[in-house]
Amino acid sequence: MFARSSSRIFNVINISCIQSRSARAWVRKPLGSPMAKSKMFRIAPKKFIPADEKAEVKRLYDNYFHQMKSLRHYFFEQSLEQAESGEVAQMKHRLEEEEHIRLMEENRLENEKTAKLREEKLKIQAEKTRENILASLINKEEETRLYEIQIEAFLEKQKATPFIQAENIEKAIEEALANPVDFNFAIDLDGYVYRGRETAIEKIPEEERERLRSN
Amino acid sequence: MASAIPTFTKIGKVIRLNKHGCTNRPFYHIVVQKTRDNFDGPVIEQVGSYDAMPNSQHEKLVAVNFERVQYWLAQGAGMSNPVAQLLGLSGFLPNHPQTLIQSWKNRREPPRERKLQPIKGIAPPLDNPKI
Repeated sequence: MFARSSSRIFNVINISCIQSRSARAWVRKPLGSPMAKSKMFRIAPKKFIPADEKAEVKRLYDNYFHQMKSLRHYFFEQSLEQAESGEVAQMKHRLEEEEHIRLMEENRLENEKTAKLREEKLKIQAEKTRENILASLINKEEETRLYEIQIEAFLEKQKATPFIQAENIEKAIEEALANPVDFNFAIDLDGYVYRGRETAIEKIPEEERERLRSN
Repeated sequence: MASAIPTFTKIGKVIRLNKHGCTNRPFYHIVVQKTRDNFDGPVIEQVGSYDAMPNSQHEKLVAVNFERVQYWLAQGAGMSNPVAQLLGLSGFLPNHPQTLIQSWKNRREPPRERKLQPIKGIAPPLDNPKI
């Protein structure tokens, strides 16, 4: 039922891809082998066809090929027309339309959902930002108040210190001249003053102990 | 070689006869195939059949799906000679020159010796055994 098919691969002839144990199929005589004795002086018979028959055959074939060419072209045009307007094309068009509508609907619903979620998120965010702003404003107010209080305290302190104004200047000079300050003293880590030659605070009696305070 | 391997060059399609059946009993499928496929290789579509053995009514039965043949011709498929002749005889295509040439040769030359005898039945026997 299945004829053995011999293949021609890379110009190696008479090989079959299908393995078989029976006789190998013959494709052609190996190139380079000599001509057989029976075929040495053979002249192949050439068929003689009269001229009119040849002309008739040529005419028939020319007509036939011409007709076939036009027919193929016609079939092609018909197939194009059918593709545009045939049943299959119409059905396809209808299905595509339906698909399109369905997808657009789906898209719209999806958009609505996401819009809702987005709105909620934005609301929450807005609340948060409002609270933040309020808190920061309150903080700012507190800070300014505290700052003002501190400034007031500082100013008070500065005002409290004895500044020498223009009116007090002569008095201050007389006072300074009357009370000279002697800085020739040593000082302890605890602030005790040593004016004399004593080096330990225990040696100095209680009444004469002097201590500098760091205010 | 079968065309199961994917190819990127465009291989032409052909409408031709694939011989099936068994010894001394040929039966042809009219088939659309790629040119480089064997008769037993993959077939794109079967488009008809041709029984070469005349039946009890002395008829050789041919079946053809003309719509699909038109489709494949529109797609640029070629045709083998026998298929073209059959379609010409059926009237779908113009008569092939080979049919006309063979017919006037049959009228001219004496008939050839045939191995198989035509089946004798209801219809009158063939007067030209060459057909």
